[in-house]
Amino acid sequence: MISEVLQLILVWVGIYTVVNISLNVEYGYTGIPNFGRHFAVLMGAIAVGGILNRVLMKLLGVSGDLITGTTDLVSRADDLFAAHPVYGIAYLVVSLALAFTLGAVMGALFILPSSRLREDYLGMTLLAMAEVTFLITYYTPSIMGGYYGTSVPDPLAFLSGDSREWTFIGITTLLALLVYLLSERLLNTPFGRLLRAHRENETVVLAFGRNLMGIRINASIIGSGIAALAGVLYGFHALNLISSSFSRVEWTFYPFLMLLLGGRGNNRGIILGTAIFVTLKVLIETYKFQISSLLHLPFEPVWLEYILFGIMALLILYYRPEGLIKEGMIKTEPLKKREAGQ
Amino acid sequence: MGVFEGALTYANLLALLALGLTLTYITTAVPNFAHGSFAVIGSYLAYTLLAAYGVNPYLAVIPAFIVGGLIGTVVYQLTIKPLIRKGASVDMLMMATLAIDIILYGILGAYSDFLSEAFKRNASKFVFTNIDFTVGSVPGRVFVSTALVIGTLIGLYVLLYKTKFGIALRASMENPALAEAMGIDVEKTRLFSWFLAAALAGMVGAVLPFLQETVPGTGGFIIVSVFAASIVGGLRNIAGGLIGGYIIGFSESMVTYGLSDVLGTGVLVYGKVVSLLIMVAVLLLMPEGVTGTKLWRRLVG
Amino acid sequence: MLETEKVNAGYGKLQILFDVSVKAEKGKITTIVGPNGSGKSTFLKTAFGLTTVYSGSVKFKGKEITKLPPFKRTRMGMAYLPQTNNVFTNLTVMENLKMAGYILSEDEFRERLELALSVFPDLKKILDRKAGNLSGGQRQFLAMATAIVRNSELLLLDEPTAQLAPKLANVIFSKILEMRDDHGITVLLVEQNAMKALEISDKAYMLVSGRVFYEGRPEPLLTEEKFRKHFLGVVEELEVVEDGSV
Repeated sequence: MISEVLQLILVWVGIYTVVNISLNVEYGYTGIPNFGRHFAVLMGAIAVGGILNRVLMKLLGVSGDLITGTTDLVSRADDLFAAHPVYGIAYLVVSLALAFTLGAVMGALFILPSSRLREDYLGMTLLAMAEVTFLITYYTPSIMGGYYGTSVPDPLAFLSGDSREWTFIGITTLLALLVYLLSERLLNTPFGRLLRAHRENETVVLAFGRNLMGIRINASIIGSGIAALAGVLYGFHALNLISSSFSRVEWTFYPFLMLLLGGRGNNRGIILGTAIFVTLKVLIETYKFQISSLLHLPFEPVWLEYILFGIMALLILYYRPEGLIKEGMIKTEPLKKREAGQ
Repeated sequence: MGVFEGALTYANLLALLALGLTLTYITTAVPNFAHGSFAVIGSYLAYTLLAAYGVNPYLAVIPAFIVGGLIGTVVYQLTIKPLIRKGASVDMLMMATLAIDIILYGILGAYSDFLSEAFKRNASKFVFTNIDFTVGSVPGRVFVSTALVIGTLIGLYVLLYKTKFGIALRASMENPALAEAMGIDVEKTRLFSWFLAAALAGMVGAVLPFLQETVPGTGGFIIVSVFAASIVGGLRNIAGGLIGGYIIGFSESMVTYGLSDVLGTGVLVYGKVVSLLIMVAVLLLMPEGVTGTKLWRRLVG
Repeated sequence: MLETEKVNAGYGKLQILFDVSVKAEKGKITTIVGPNGSGKSTFLKTAFGLTTVYSGSVKFKGKEITKLPPFKRTRMGMAYLPQTNNVFTNLTVMENLKMAGYILSEDEFRERLELALSVFPDLKKILDRKAGNLSGGQRQFLAMATAIVRNSELLLLDEPTAQLAPKLANVIFSKILEMRDDHGITVLLVEQNAMKALEISDKAYMLVSGRVFYEGRPEPLLTEEKFRKHFLGVVEELEVVEDGSV
């Protein structure tokens, strides 16, 4: 039991770290309040469940559509990967690459109408766009199985049981680490400073002749691309994709909560915030029946989870909006060298 | 029900919701992401009264108005006001309203589970359409929703133009600093705006299930249309909420009902696509909305 | 009426005023002039309570008000009229006046309204017009009328004639005189249009870089070269226009 809980915590820390870093790029650094973060994650899922599933079905000669044919697809693909692990890994890599591309492109498209918008309009617009996409995907089975859902093959089909789980955790953690390192690299540069300038004072940015819209598009491309990766990871964790999993609560509100908790604009803080939140969430979900009977709840514990995390967000906003770890200076290479030389 | 009647009902209700959203936006500078859930509170109140006492939901409009208003006041006093006092930025306030929406969603969900247990029937999804009255072939909700809009407009007119407090409210909405300098208690006008907006939402919520299926998450579903309506109408002016509500309400409904003959249910979603497209178009072409255009200013003078 | 003593003030951490001591006597018109950026507007804002005061004191009618919030100063009888945004553009003239009398009783309001309209009779004809549709001059009249309705004893006027044609500016100045002479209102005036303002003043101050450079009768500021050079540009322009030679 403990091992399972630990596995869940680790895999979710990995997945959410990726999402949260993506949100950090867009919101923490650039100041775009992307309340439609779940959109990009969904794009990642569509890349796998919508696009790649179809491609694989063609390649493997599976008949039917995304709903009727997936069982067949999954068994054939799993057999293939079990026999040839290389194909499994290739499938994983292709999924990630495709997801990133799709996420990046869609992210750029979706930020386009916001060229002249301030934060309040941005927040509303991005949320609206994400919600509508979410709804369309849910009600249109031809995209990704709609309300039936669709299964996806397991790239690690050559492993099973605990070794599969731990390997997957390893991959997720590795990817999260990669994303973390790359974003640190990216943000501790004049580009990072430019993003922050956008957040702090748009007028200054304009005065320096920079293009506001260009900054937003760049931030969205990177942010949405990264978020889509998380969608893939989640897909291979659950092995079953149904668009209702990509809700606003799970993939926008919780990431914002983690950002708030750890400290926005600050990647180290994000990891801390993610770890704390995920541990809480996994514990609540694992022991929900115990909690329910202990408190004699006349309702499903999931509602309590929403209420608790909502209250948590409000408390943080009021008492410690800067988060646990405060934002630091942007340390570009020259600065780092100077510090090291001291 | 004919397409036009359905559209009119929906547009009436949406206009009232957008009016409330715009009102709190103007007075407290934050788009309230929880506004839709305020309405659903009214829906569940109506359902409770129906299930427990057999009260017709239309009569529940009054308690829904009051309860909604109270909840709006509580939300404002406990969360928005303290955060504004602390100098919270717009994005933090938006996040707060998002958090409030999640909390309300949780409470409504929990409540619906509780109701299901108590009344031995499924309270997580309900609709009142089948108990609506008809006048000829026109369903009652058309009349009630229209009456609510007319009543609200009359009430607002009297309030805003014939009472000292109402004029002060208008003054505070335009220029809070100047109003403050005149000795007007601007804080009271803010509190009142949250009361009124939430009260209107609650009122709408009691009638909404006559039109569509209601679940605890309906608030999050409908907020998209409310945002679209407020943006299209123009967020600087409460008339914008009204106008935007009708534009979006009719467009959405026409598409939904028009297509349902062809595509069946689940088509509600595509109506929202239309709202989104209109919203995006407005943002690109006239970001201040209909009431922000020169044409409007000339008309109103 | 209003007295500041060695006030150091500014916006947040940015200090604008340095050891400013100014006295505006009851029933008199006091004018503050000075070059751009000298802190004249900031001084008025400080008197009303809109800035951060680091040290020094502000006294109104003998009472210490340095920490008092603006709306309380209004209730004490102080009226601050900024350059812009001094009326509610979406409200009618009458509604604006009603708002000015917000804290008054019905009878008090009627009395003050009559008084205000006697000083600005032009407003009687446009009571139902939206303030946003008024001309610049009419708006200033309305703003000053609201101050009278509020039973203000002290008027803080921030460049009331800015962007007004000279003829209109003269009307404003004569109204200011009327308010002092017929209604005993104390006026503290900040003006760029220095010449005319100084002509109607009882006392004058000149601020330069946030400090009091001159305090005393207004005449020397108009005649002595060493002072004139500090607001030479504006004064020259005015002279040319008033001569009618352009």
